[in-house]
Formats: sequence, structure tokens, C-alpha cells
Amino acid sequence: MKKLLKPVEPVLEKGLDTVGSFIHTHPKINFLFGALFGAFDGLLRSARETTHTQPFIRNNYDVKRFMGAVLVALVAGWVLPAMYFYGWQGVVSKLLVSFIIGIFVVDVIWAIIAREEHISEGGFVSCLFIPAILPPQAPLWLVGLGAALAIIFRNILGGVGNNLVNPALFSRLFLTICFPALLVTGYQTPFVGIPDLHTFRYGLDAVTHATPFTAFKTGGETTSYLSLLLGTANGSMGETCRLALILSGLWLIKMRVANWRIPASYLGSVLILSVFFSLILGRTVAPPLFQLLSGGLILGAFFMATDPITATYNQTAKWIFGAGCGLITVLIRNFTTLPEGVMYSILLMNLLAIPIQSLMVKIRYRV
Amino acid sequence: MSVKRCMRSYLSQPSFPRQKNVFVKKENTRFQGGFYLPDAYPLQFCSIIEDISSDGTPEMFQFKVPDQKVAHIIVNLCPTEPWALPNWVILKHKTPSFLNMLKEIKTNYFPGAVLSLAINEGECRTVEDAKKFASNEDWMRVFPLYAKYPQDDPVLLLKVILGIEVSFGQDTKSLGVLILDAQTVSAIYESCILRNKVDSRLIVLSGTGLKENEIVNVQLGTSIEKILKNKVKETGKYRVFINGPLRGNEITDLSQKINWSVNNIVVLEEKNRKVMFPMIKSDELILTTNLLGELRRCVYCNYCDNICPVDLEPALYYHSYTRGEKHKARLYNLEKCIECGLCSFICPSKLELLHIIKECKALDKQHEKIT
Repeated sequence: MKKLLKPVEPVLEKGLDTVGSFIHTHPKINFLFGALFGAFDGLLRSARETTHTQPFIRNNYDVKRFMGAVLVALVAGWVLPAMYFYGWQGVVSKLLVSFIIGIFVVDVIWAIIAREEHISEGGFVSCLFIPAILPPQAPLWLVGLGAALAIIFRNILGGVGNNLVNPALFSRLFLTICFPALLVTGYQTPFVGIPDLHTFRYGLDAVTHATPFTAFKTGGETTSYLSLLLGTANGSMGETCRLALILSGLWLIKMRVANWRIPASYLGSVLILSVFFSLILGRTVAPPLFQLLSGGLILGAFFMATDPITATYNQTAKWIFGAGCGLITVLIRNFTTLPEGVMYSILLMNLLAIPIQSLMVKIRYRV
Repeated sequence: MSVKRCMRSYLSQPSFPRQKNVFVKKENTRFQGGFYLPDAYPLQFCSIIEDISSDGTPEMFQFKVPDQKVAHIIVNLCPTEPWALPNWVILKHKTPSFLNMLKEIKTNYFPGAVLSLAINEGECRTVEDAKKFASNEDWMRVFPLYAKYPQDDPVLLLKVILGIEVSFGQDTKSLGVLILDAQTVSAIYESCILRNKVDSRLIVLSGTGLKENEIVNVQLGTSIEKILKNKVKETGKYRVFINGPLRGNEITDLSQKINWSVNNIVVLEEKNRKVMFPMIKSDELILTTNLLGELRRCVYCNYCDNICPVDLEPALYYHSYTRGEKHKARLYNLEKCIECGLCSFICPSKLELLHIIKECKALDKQHEKIT
């Protein structure tokens, strides 16, 4: 590999240097493409900065790899399965709309208004989430609007590192309030089998069906656990293939990007509470395994709730945070008319994370 | 001379520490956090020891028996930094003769003291020999320790071996505890028991800026410039550190003379330029002074409190500091910090956490002076 890349290196290095100096000498180009070039350059080359204070050596692990790991896990966890189940064209077009509207339109306008030096590259993860948490038949304008709202909320709340709540979920909350009909319908039935050219491109034609949880609430029927696990049951675009989500989530935990305490406490509390309520109330409450595998719980537990910025910093508080998410999810799912509670639970606990964190700090240090 | 060392064998070299991880069996250590440095920085040394003499009159090693009564002696045979002096250089694979040296020092100077040996548990033969020796001597105890940095810090050594909590920077002699390393023990034996003159010490030279990692026998008072002569790579800029790049200091004046407190000299390449494809060429960047990443905002990743050996949450200090509330930092057990530098070392946002901690501590001292 090293030998293969050796002849390319001087050419590439020179090219990057030329482009870099061109961008830095032209403020307008720097404004629009500086961040993009910086991200690309950062991917290909190491930083130039050196240490000036103790310790003089640093570990080979940075935020870029952190973000890269999340992107890789999301692609493996939902983009690839969704391409199979719903056809690649829909997935790719939605991703393109989400990225272009979110990053190149809204973020750029924001940067102009806020007089920032250049756009930041932190919106990629949010924009990758937007199509995943909307129904497969959501129109493109809805995806674009969702991405725009997510980036606006992220910027209003202070950008990467300062988010109060998960911006992608917050934008979905907004869409749920504004366009309830679009978010209740449009759950396309996933394609199963060996795809031909047509289904590979478009998926199944416009066959929609209620989500497993809505079906349970209206008719009391449960979907088979295997189809929920493999992704052949319908739901939002990115939440159906739970097996891929669990595997990529576990990889994130192994890479120590996601903190294992949050998925463990979230899923654990959902399981315990649903067993508890099933024992007391019987069939009116969804069965525990069905609750674990349906809806956006797996996606939320491994990818949304673990977002370190919106969760608590203290490790003990993470258990409380996860358990709180689980409690709210089970309560909303079983005792309200809402079909799904993961989004509300994570958003609510994001807000509660601040008092929980300060309370834990007070208990721990007795201040 | 081939040196057989009973090292821990690892299947792979993870770029990340093994601790508090659900998938890895918990190690037999008595503190959480820390970092097993030889995993990330495996250093090999040339086995020939070169002598370097000073130009002027060499200084003498002098051992002063402390005024206070010594109740405990801790001999530290558990160097945790890969650039520190390895045990085999002093022990020469003859642990019993080293222990006999210790016995003689103890009977002559510290008759009432209890002696604790902290040994790297990876060096099985040394541990076995020491245990065999200690079974006949009731004043000696052996503690095999996992050589995870900063296990050899006085605060953690005292906590693990004697169960005493001391604060960072406190003089252990006032508690009746004397901590010695292997080289000091052999120097005490030479100078006080055999009455020979000791005017030189072994120093480990390592790092990416050198042609070869080696151990040299240097007369005290030799300048660093003379030691490094003809040993540094000609290409590129380099920076010199004494006593390791983690806890040690940078030396800009190379005419500085070395004394007994210098254990090792680490010369690192500066690498203040961009390197193509850092993913596949991490060996080119590792153990240089490059930041290995860009400066970002704190993302609350919990790496700093996972790695902290004294169970602190360094990100809290960072937040107090950036909010301009330095005085609040000391509410969060700031005085417990042993300044090992692991939080800054691990931080993926490359924040200068140790620098912030030191500044907050300095404020604490100012505050004490005023009140």
C-alpha cells in the first residue's frame, strides 16, 4: 500500500499546497470552500501543529476519526440496508438533497449572516440522520426542509460542541407538528428477495402499510420478531434493519466512540419496564421483545442518545440518562395515543441531562 | 548479548488503551485508568553500554540518610515509561545479588524499616526470585504490579503498597517513607558499603530523533550536547526532553549539565509539517511532537476521566476555565491531580488539559497567600 502510494505523494502534496494557498488568498472562495477543503486536506494529511506544553507527545486519536467512525457506522447501519430495501435511487437522492440543502445552502447562508469565517463540517452527521428518521416515501422537499431545520437549530444552539438537544431529532419534532399526515403515512413496504433492475432502483412500487407499532395499537397484532430484526417490517427509512444497526452500534462501542452505558441502560430499562407493565396489565401493553425491536429504539439507543454532546458528561449520570430515556419511551408508547416515543424521550432527556449532570457533580464533590 | 525478557505478549498493538472496556478482562490492578505505554511505544535498546566522560571534574554521588526515622522503604522496580531505565541493566539477571545488596543497606542504615519491592509483574523471573528471597526474610514484601503508567508515581505507589493517601508533591520522607529506584540502590551500595567513588550514572537515550536507542554510562556533570554528539539524526529538526516527554521538561539549552536526577533523555523529531496519508503511515508520526490532530472544542467524549489514574474529571476543569471561572475548578478535587499528563495525552480535541490544571492550581496557591 505504501509503495503503491509513493509515486502519487509528491504530486498530490504539491496540488494540495497550491489549492490550499489559492483558497487562503481568496477570502470569498475560502468562505465557501475553506471548510470542505480543510476536511478533505485533514483526511489526507496530518496536522502541522506541534505540542508546546506538557505532555509533549499525544495519542494518535482525534475528533475527525470520531466523526469518521460515526459516518462509517451510519452508512453500514442504515444507508446500505435502505438501498436494498427501498431502492438506491430514493436513498441517494434523499441524501443528496439533505446534504446540499443542509450544508451548502443553509449553513452557508448562516455563515454569511453570522459573519463566520467559514462553514463547519459538523453538519454531516445531522444531515445523514435526516432521511433515516423520515418515512421512506417522504417527499424530497420534506427531507430538504428537515435538513434545513436541523442545521438552523444546530447553529442557533451554538454549533458543534454546544448542542442542547439532538438537532436531527429536533427538526423531526418540528416536522411532526407541522406535517403530521406526511409522517404518519408513507411507510413503504420493504422489498424482500433477489432484486431485478427495477426494484434495485426504486424498491417496491408505492405499497404502504402501517408501522408495526401502529398496527399493534389499532389491531393488537404483533409483527414477527425475525422480520423486525432483519428489516423486512416497515418503518422509517433508517430504523428497519435492526441487525445492521446493532452490529454497527456495537462496533462504535468497541471503537469507544459511543459510550456503552447509554445503550445498555436505555435498552435494559425498556426491557425491564415493559416486562413489569406486561406482568401487571397483560395484553394491553406491547410484549417486551416486540417493544425492544420495534420503532426507532435501536437507532435511537445506539446512535442518537449516545451523542456525547447532548448526553451527560458524568459516567454515573449516563445510567440515569439512559434509564430516563427508557422510562419515557415505554410510557409514551403504551399509555398515550402517540405511535412512537423514542424521539420525545431522547429530546426530553437531552434537556434533563443538564440538571442531572449538575446534580451528579454536586453529589460527587459535595459542592 | 541477547536479552531475554519475559514481556507480556500482545496479539496486536491497539492504538487505544485497554481499560474500563467491556470486552477486555479486568486487569489485576488496584487503580482505574492509566495507560500501558509499551503498547503504543515499543522501544528496543542496543545492548552495548557506552561510557561517556565529562570534560571537567565529575560530581560525586552522595547519599544522605534522612533526618526523620524511616519506617518503610519502597524500592521501585516497576518503571512504567518505555524510555525509563529497564530493570535488567541494573539487576543483570542476578536478582538475589541485588537483594543481598538491599539487605546490607537495610541492616547498616535502616535496621527497623520494612522494605517493599514493587516489581513489574511482566518480569516473571525477577518476581519469582524476589518472592523466594522474601520468604526467608520477614522484613521484605514483594508487590508484583502491572506496569501501567503512572503506577510508579509516589502517590499511587504509596496508595497501592502501604494504603496511605498522600497528596501530590508531598515529601514522603516526613511520613517515614523512602522511595528508591534500582540505580540509586546500587549507587548507595557502592558508595556507602563498598566505599567506592560513584561519579557516573546510566542514562537511557531514546526517541525518533536518534539514530539508535541506547543506554550510556555518563559521568555526572557532562553536558547534554556532549552526550548527544554523533547520535542525533541529521535530517529534520529535533527537540530534547529529560525524564520523558510525558512528565519531563524540554531542554532548549543543550549545554546544561546532567546530575543524578536525570534518568533518561528523549530526543523527538519535531514534525511540524504535514504528512501524507497519516492513517497508513502512523509509524512516521508516532513519538514525535506533532499534535496528531486538530484543536477542537470539547465533545464530552469521557476519554479524560476514563484514563485518569486518580479518578478525576478533567473536562470539568476545562469548562470552568473556558467560562472564566478558574476558582471553581478547585471544587472538583483539583488537589488530587498528580499531573501525569494522561488527560492531555489522550484528548481527541487536543485540549491542553494539564496546562489548564496547572494554571488553576497556581491560582489556588495565590488565593492561599492572600487569605
